[in-house]
Amino acid sequence: MQKGDSQQVNDRPLKAVFSRFAISKNMRRRYMLFILLISPAFFLRITTAAYPILQTIYLSFTNLNLIKNTNEFIGLQNYPTLANDFGVRGALYFTILLVVGSTLLDLAVGLLIALLLNERFRGTTFARTINLIPWAIPTIVAGYAFRWLLDDQFGLIPYWVNMLSGVRLVIFISPLSAQIVVILAHVWKDAPFMAFVFLAGLQGVPLDLYDASKVDGANAWNRFWRITVPLIMPLTITMGLFRLVWSLGSFDLVYGLTQGGPGVATSVLALQIFREGIMFFKFGFASTISVVLLILVGIVGIVGLWLFRKTEVTF
Amino acid sequence: MVKEEIARPSLIKWNRVAIYVCFILFTLIVLVPVYWMARSSLANASDLTKLPLIYFPTPTLRNFQTLISQIPINQYVRNSLLFAVSTTFVSLLVSFLAAYAFARIQFPGSGVILWILLLSMALPDVGTIVPLYRILKDLHLLDKISGLTLVLSSTLTPFTVWVLISFIKQVPYEIEEAAIIDGASLPQIFLRILLPVTMPGLVTMGLINFINAWNNLLYPLSFSTSPSSKTLSVAITEVFAGFSPYGKPWELIMAVGLAMTIPVVFLVLLSQRAIVRGLTGGAIK
Repeated sequence: MQKGDSQQVNDRPLKAVFSRFAISKNMRRRYMLFILLISPAFFLRITTAAYPILQTIYLSFTNLNLIKNTNEFIGLQNYPTLANDFGVRGALYFTILLVVGSTLLDLAVGLLIALLLNERFRGTTFARTINLIPWAIPTIVAGYAFRWLLDDQFGLIPYWVNMLSGVRLVIFISPLSAQIVVILAHVWKDAPFMAFVFLAGLQGVPLDLYDASKVDGANAWNRFWRITVPLIMPLTITMGLFRLVWSLGSFDLVYGLTQGGPGVATSVLALQIFREGIMFFKFGFASTISVVLLILVGIVGIVGLWLFRKTEVTF
Repeated sequence: MVKEEIARPSLIKWNRVAIYVCFILFTLIVLVPVYWMARSSLANASDLTKLPLIYFPTPTLRNFQTLISQIPINQYVRNSLLFAVSTTFVSLLVSFLAAYAFARIQFPGSGVILWILLLSMALPDVGTIVPLYRILKDLHLLDKISGLTLVLSSTLTPFTVWVLISFIKQVPYEIEEAAIIDGASLPQIFLRILLPVTMPGLVTMGLINFINAWNNLLYPLSFSTSPSSKTLSVAITEVFAGFSPYGKPWELIMAVGLAMTIPVVFLVLLSQRAIVRGLTGGAIK
């Protein structure tokens, strides 16, 4: 009660606004409560997301550099520098390759794992449990574990390949093999998570649809492509979208596996931002790369939403 | 017809075999990197550089002793724990309050407000790293666990709110209504009524956020400059940067890796169902 009284004294202008819309005292208190309850979350988001994004955009027009001790507004000058920067160009190319490649593979492998986990066999529970391990393992640890697993001298995989075929695998020397390995390691890390979402989606498909199609004489293959796939398509696109956006901003696995090498063949924009900004203190230039990353996220978001609306199915 | 009747059992049998082949393949692919890490971290360094490879070297805890004597690993473990626990607590508290507001209070435009909050999930964490560095510096929160906690809690909040809303909506409003009529205050409603019934949701999101914070590399790597706030994820990158007579000290890198992996895998095995419910809860509903 005390709270309500003190509010009445303090919020005269607000009160005037509310009374114009003829809102009862009880409703006004509920509105106040709403604002009060969401304010901690919004305080956090505004101070550590909204404001920093605006500052990133501003900094991209400056040459703020803690080492050279420069801080001037230079307009768009960072952008041509960025377009000619060897590291950024390599990173942009591989970011797109990695994000698109690993997302498509993730969805395909995730769906396959989900189909496996959806079956009843001895070991279903075991398989479902270990499926969470790649998700739970710290990404940086997975990065180092794969690097050691693929070590050309004492790694298990090159050792096996050598025993079976006599070929000596030296993965991290050539750009192409390093790129393939980085993509596959991402699939190892993220496909199991996709599988859980698909599994939940598969279990949500109404069974009578399958029964009806069995009566109609459709075989398992047809049932999969005609019923399962269309029904989980919206989910697939949602997940793909999330996955694209999330992986655009992450560099943990690359940091552990290759640190962007050989050269910049496996570097990603996120890693370049970290390097230029946090390691070399080129705040202005790093912010410019961040803006490019934000534009990429925006493009993915718009294309994704358009795809999503096109395939919406209700059941 | 008759032909198909005969053909069918064999088809099913082939499917069964295929399933088990896939299952074994899947298990191998998932577990081989984990086995490789465990095997390397529990071996003597010299056993890792012998050919033919030794699959099961004599187990030893020597690498962990080396780590303890060479780097402030106890401090790193304590920082990791403190960071993960405080991030879990802050993100749950903040998100629970907001989720309650979104789930229960009719507010003009609350749908748009929620949409904006969820949209902010799309911002790549690394894209704001430079301004965050400056903000934390200005607030004297650089190289402090509290600064890391503030930033990561904020990052985890939108998803936590999203999942908690659906958990709160599952609780019948009549229970709160009855409490309000009985004259319960808001804190009482939160603590005595909502908290117990939404506990499964809070546990789920608590586990997910704990694992996220424990595994987080970006923020400690960017904002921690001394052992006073460095976490295990930073420690492993530092051990990697070191050299040993055999090249990279893989036995030590894998030992830190194993120390980081054991707690999260333990949590996952303990509460698989709760975690999956949370991870899929957001996406499916």
